[in-house]
Amino acid sequence: MKPVEAEGLVRTFGDVTAVAGIDLEVAEGEIFGFLGPNGAGKSTTVRMLVTLLRPTAGTARVAGFDVVKEADSVRRLIGVALQDAAIDPLMTGSELLRLQAVLHGLGRRRAADRGSELLERVGLTGAADRRVGTYSGGMRRRLDLALALIHRPAVLFLDEPTTGLDPTSRVAVWEEVRSLNDDGTTVFLTTQYLEEADELAARIAIIDNGVIVREGDPTVLKGQVGDPTLRVEVADETTIELARQVLGAFGDQRPARDGRVAIGLRGGATRLTDVVRALDEQGVPVAHFELDSPSLDDVFADATGRRLEGAET
Amino acid sequence: MTGVAPARSRDTGVGLFPIVWMCHRNLTRFARLPAIMVPMVVMPIFFLVVFTSSFDGISRVDGYPTENLINWVVAFALLQGAMFSGVGTAGTVANDLETGFMDRLLASPIRRGIIIAAPLTYTAIRALIPITLVTVLALVMNAELPGGILGIVVAFSGGIGGALVIGCFGLGVVLRMGDVRAMTIVQMTSFLVIFPSIGQVPIALLDGWMEQVARVNPTTNLLRMTRQGYLGDVTWADTWPGLLVIACGIAIFGTWARAELIRRTR
Repeated sequence: MKPVEAEGLVRTFGDVTAVAGIDLEVAEGEIFGFLGPNGAGKSTTVRMLVTLLRPTAGTARVAGFDVVKEADSVRRLIGVALQDAAIDPLMTGSELLRLQAVLHGLGRRRAADRGSELLERVGLTGAADRRVGTYSGGMRRRLDLALALIHRPAVLFLDEPTTGLDPTSRVAVWEEVRSLNDDGTTVFLTTQYLEEADELAARIAIIDNGVIVREGDPTVLKGQVGDPTLRVEVADETTIELARQVLGAFGDQRPARDGRVAIGLRGGATRLTDVVRALDEQGVPVAHFELDSPSLDDVFADATGRRLEGAET
Repeated sequence: MTGVAPARSRDTGVGLFPIVWMCHRNLTRFARLPAIMVPMVVMPIFFLVVFTSSFDGISRVDGYPTENLINWVVAFALLQGAMFSGVGTAGTVANDLETGFMDRLLASPIRRGIIIAAPLTYTAIRALIPITLVTVLALVMNAELPGGILGIVVAFSGGIGGALVIGCFGLGVVLRMGDVRAMTIVQMTSFLVIFPSIGQVPIALLDGWMEQVARVNPTTNLLRMTRQGYLGDVTWADTWPGLLVIACGIAIFGTWARAELIRRTR
């Protein structure tokens, strides 16, 4: 039994197809990154998986239960932190934790113990009795995370957990997600940030226009895109044609700015010394030298012909 | 799965206990944002004081069943405040929908009916504030109460019942529309059902379309029930039509609200 399985999942809103038949499998104990631009269908997929929306077609099972026929069982076993941390600003952190505990049927003592443990874990013990309205964005996200964990869920769904956070807060949330995963929690993470998916996810799926366009290990996916790009800027512009000829032996030409030559370096970084030696032998003076590995943005571009909106690499 | 056992259905307490905590949350919000109280307290008190001061002579008109105008008007003010409580509760739920807090509730294993029942329980508790204030003020302003304690009981029941009916209706509209825009409809409808009735003058003194509307307006029965203790003895004949309005209102609009809630996850 996989923590998350979906087959042919479809969701339409009138004439609009938000999710157009996706298959997914998340392995136990992994962080699964669900990556895509705004409006790609990420949140709609998550809402179906967490029983907030019924699929128009297809099936999905979460923690072994059907999201439509056994929605109550699914709700008992999942933790959910949706896109906008839905936290009542008039309540205190500890009050919200108590309420969340009640919603999940925890008794008074268990709720109090678990609440204290989680507040400490997310570094909010000192702010527990302050109204949430006084919290920073990062603190709210961390509280949201704590709320989602109150009943020790088997699968944790995080829908764009760091959107709108400053870099420091973002890293703090990443650390917390990693630490949760180290404790064995399966995490289904949606994000539009390439860096986030790269940092956290062991496996990713890229969704675009409601369809999964790539799925797998980020490193493997990046490797499949092709060779890394080598850009060479010559110190003397009169040698640029010569540089082009020399570099042509190492890979196919790629678009580059004036005064530069770019190629897809066959064999990757291991061929760099050969390139340098060849340029030196032919007397090509080099002013700047750079090698870019393919990014997830390149994976997305390779799959869709577009760059990812809001990409941060 | 992970090594940690999740809460099981048996001990999720997904019975009635969450209602207490959801009400606690709303009451806490209420205490921390007392401005919420203004419309439901100020409006009925303003009406009670201004109407009885300005139109005191109206009770001397033939056909007016009491010489003390406040005995007639108190029920209207009381019901007005109570209905505003129902409207306010719908506003609270609209806010929860907009902020996403409703998703938190829907993604939890509590029964869907509890998500409806909790704000209604809060409505009933909240309605006690204007009902009590209007009652006390009316008694201070020399309202008579020939119906005694029973008169107070039916007046409070009528007020709370009215608040619940409007609360159910408001929840239905808000859950249908999904945001605070729904509040315009809820507020407008509340005014439309309470004013063309026997709130200010008896039906015998109404004329034309107003009389026709007041005769069929369910609020008229609710007002008769709520008011009777201030005019005389409490009778079953004046009570059951009001109870019927409350029961039917809660059943119809409550069922609709629940259906709309379930529709939101489809």
